[in-house]
Amino acid sequence: MNKKTLALSVIGIAALGLFPVFMHNPYYLHLAETILIYAILLFGLDIVVGYTGQVSLGHAGLFGIGSYTTGVLYLKLGLPILLALPASIVVAAVFGAVMALPALRVTGPYLAMVTLAFGTITQILINEMSFLTEGPMGIQITKPGWFGQKMDETTFFYLVAVLMVVALIVVHRILRSHLGRAFQALRDSPIASDCMGVSVYRYKVYAFVISAALAGLAGSLYAYSEQYISPNTYNFELTILFLLAVIMGGRKSRIGSLIGAFIVVMLPSLLADIDLFRQISTAAAVIAVIGAVIALVQKRKTAREIVVPVVATIGMALFSYKLENITDWRLTIFGLMTLFVVYYLQDGIVGFVSAMFGKGPRHLIAQSGAQAVDESLAIANAGGERVGVLLSARQLLMQFGGLKALNHVDLQIAQGTVHGLIGPNGSGKSTMMNVLTGIYKPTDGVVEFAGRVISGTTPSAIALGGVARTFQNVQLFGEMTATENVLVGLHSTFRSNVFDAMLHTPRYLREERAARERAASILHFVGLSDLANEEARNLPYGKQRLLEIGRALGLNPQLLLLDEPAAGLTAPDIKELIAIIRKIREHGITIILIEHHMDVVMSLCDTVTVLDFGQKICEGKPAAVQADPKVIEAYLGGSVSEELSGAAHPVATA
Amino acid sequence: MLEISNLHAAYGKVQVLHGISLSVPKGKVVTLIGSNGAGKTTTMRAISGMLKPKEGTVNLGGQDITGLDSHKIARAGLAHSPEGRRVFATMSVKDNLLLGAFPRFTGSRSRGDIDTDLQKAMELFPRLRERRDQLAGTLSGGEQQMLAMARAVMLNPEVILLDEPSMGLAPILVDEVFRIIQRLKHEGMTMLLVEQFAAAALAVADYGYVLENGRISVHGPAASLQNDPAVKAAYLGGNAQH
Repeated sequence: MNKKTLALSVIGIAALGLFPVFMHNPYYLHLAETILIYAILLFGLDIVVGYTGQVSLGHAGLFGIGSYTTGVLYLKLGLPILLALPASIVVAAVFGAVMALPALRVTGPYLAMVTLAFGTITQILINEMSFLTEGPMGIQITKPGWFGQKMDETTFFYLVAVLMVVALIVVHRILRSHLGRAFQALRDSPIASDCMGVSVYRYKVYAFVISAALAGLAGSLYAYSEQYISPNTYNFELTILFLLAVIMGGRKSRIGSLIGAFIVVMLPSLLADIDLFRQISTAAAVIAVIGAVIALVQKRKTAREIVVPVVATIGMALFSYKLENITDWRLTIFGLMTLFVVYYLQDGIVGFVSAMFGKGPRHLIAQSGAQAVDESLAIANAGGERVGVLLSARQLLMQFGGLKALNHVDLQIAQGTVHGLIGPNGSGKSTMMNVLTGIYKPTDGVVEFAGRVISGTTPSAIALGGVARTFQNVQLFGEMTATENVLVGLHSTFRSNVFDAMLHTPRYLREERAARERAASILHFVGLSDLANEEARNLPYGKQRLLEIGRALGLNPQLLLLDEPAAGLTAPDIKELIAIIRKIREHGITIILIEHHMDVVMSLCDTVTVLDFGQKICEGKPAAVQADPKVIEAYLGGSVSEELSGAAHPVATA
Repeated sequence: MLEISNLHAAYGKVQVLHGISLSVPKGKVVTLIGSNGAGKTTTMRAISGMLKPKEGTVNLGGQDITGLDSHKIARAGLAHSPEGRRVFATMSVKDNLLLGAFPRFTGSRSRGDIDTDLQKAMELFPRLRERRDQLAGTLSGGEQQMLAMARAVMLNPEVILLDEPSMGLAPILVDEVFRIIQRLKHEGMTMLLVEQFAAAALAVADYGYVLENGRISVHGPAASLQNDPAVKAAYLGGNAQH
């Protein structure tokens, strides 16, 4: 924890502790309590929305399930909070899993529809199941007991505050761990996640379950806080409000969730009090003007870009003084503010503020740096006894409609070799890659790897079995740093579960430390140590390709599939790449190389297979393949090639 | 035709271009070479408005287009054929081409011109004629690259930016791409070319700029760059150090 975070946490906890001491008004105490309860839910919602990039419109439903579990247990069985609270968490988590099951099939808008249906059905069921829930009448609950007497409002506030802090720490730890990285990875590239052995389906369900558990906790506290629950609280509007809070506050940030909770709880009261509204809109206008001036001076924005927000906030402030009665305008103002935030503050308030002060939370100084990197950690020797043929594909047929992308192809890869796979565009090379890594299930034929049949199993199982790959169109986890990308590749080295990550058990800490050391050495191995803390999307193309190779090495593969690693690289970069591939082979890793740069193929490969129209047209030593008339006709082309790509052949430029 | 002066650009906090100046005269082919991460693609993006420059000006045929939205820059007559092709995968080849001419649909009279250009584009790229009704996503990599170039031509632009047209293509298609660039040049098209095969790019270009860490380090007529020992050693993978 760095100093700034520490200071912020101390201030935060002190503020929470002192709030009831200075604030005796029970109304404001209750408002603060509601903010904390919402924040707990938003931490969870942010896991789904911010980290895994899914949309959930069902969180009001989960919140309701949490409340009603507590309510029903209290009403029917008179259970104390010590039992009711955990029960709410568990029940909501189970429903979260139920809601997540359709996530196997649907994403994006469809998932939103499924979760919306879930939320709506939950509300209707609570309303209809009067034998359990008292239906529209609602349930009355008293404050929980505490040393034989009922808690007063202040004591309960402290309980909520403590649970909020605990939830914050737990969520923060989970998201910083390998689980959090898995969540982000499946948002940025599901296909690459699967190929790193991170099962997209399983981690989506995890994210929903953890998120739902927090919603259950929040729901239970809400029931005690309000002392009365009824079905129409948990409606669609509440769901929208939660989503807005995450977006306004700033996704992927706990502070963002707190700010979001503050806004959505305070807005209704803010919009009820005309004087308060005037003060705040004036303050907003002042902030906007100051911000605009700073941005202009620093030349970060042009005058045209800032004119609308500045005029709008000033207009809002002036308008607030003209208003006599605010109640009629509440919804309009609320809508306008929402539009404003979504349009101008897409990264939420937290994102805006950190951009303003130029401190992306991401750009930490390299901890490991160049010193003391043990390169021997980068690659575990693939070793194993020489089995001769590591991978063998027999009579592979891959049919898309009428098109036979692979037409009964046999492929044998000898252990410890670099096997080139070349052929014209559209000849089936990438299809072959996808069949070998389980992304496509072959229409017919068998793939055997290290003596086991792998065709028909899932990509993540194949990846964990020792087959790693890179992608023709780079598939990095864009919003994650280079180090984090490699750490996702190292995901399989973690035995820790979610509780280890929450509690920071010695096992988790040991594994995390080991993984970070290996990540540093892998980055050093592929020459990216300087860029370890840069987000992958900001890396230049050539470096992205190297990072993909590094990430793949994290899996400790026996077989590494490289799909056009030299595409888009210039001559000097290609030399670097060739050196890295050679080093990888020296560690005993078998490589399948798809490449169009013939100089790369010629200098690295032991055997080359040529595909054309989904069929093998030639196979053998590189030199023999290069001289084969069929290959020249289909792929290499005539003399023009040598003139033009002369650069690639040092001999030609003599 | 295209004049860039003192262009600065950054991704977030990472400054990539530190004052690039270059000029692409009418009817000429100019190439930008440099190692990975030097800022070639960033320069292209800053010119076509996909990335807003922080400083400097971009001038197209006397018109200042600095910082305009990319669709306005396209309307002003600058076509960008991006790295990695980016064809509209779920639309037919013909629709992809017609979309390339989208800003030109201004009235009933424009129709005829566009149809003529469609025929011309298909002459230039005969493979596309064969596949005009196929979905672009089902084309092979080489055909998609042809389509991306043809789509840029359909704008009837003043200048075309070609970013890595030969990337990921089989050697036989690399030749084809360079032949097409040569043909476009003969037809008088002004082009700014970024290419991994620097030697081939210099062979087709009139003038070249070498980009190093976001700055122009050397520039000159393509022929002289081809023979510059330093350029040869660093970018042409030549045998200077062998």
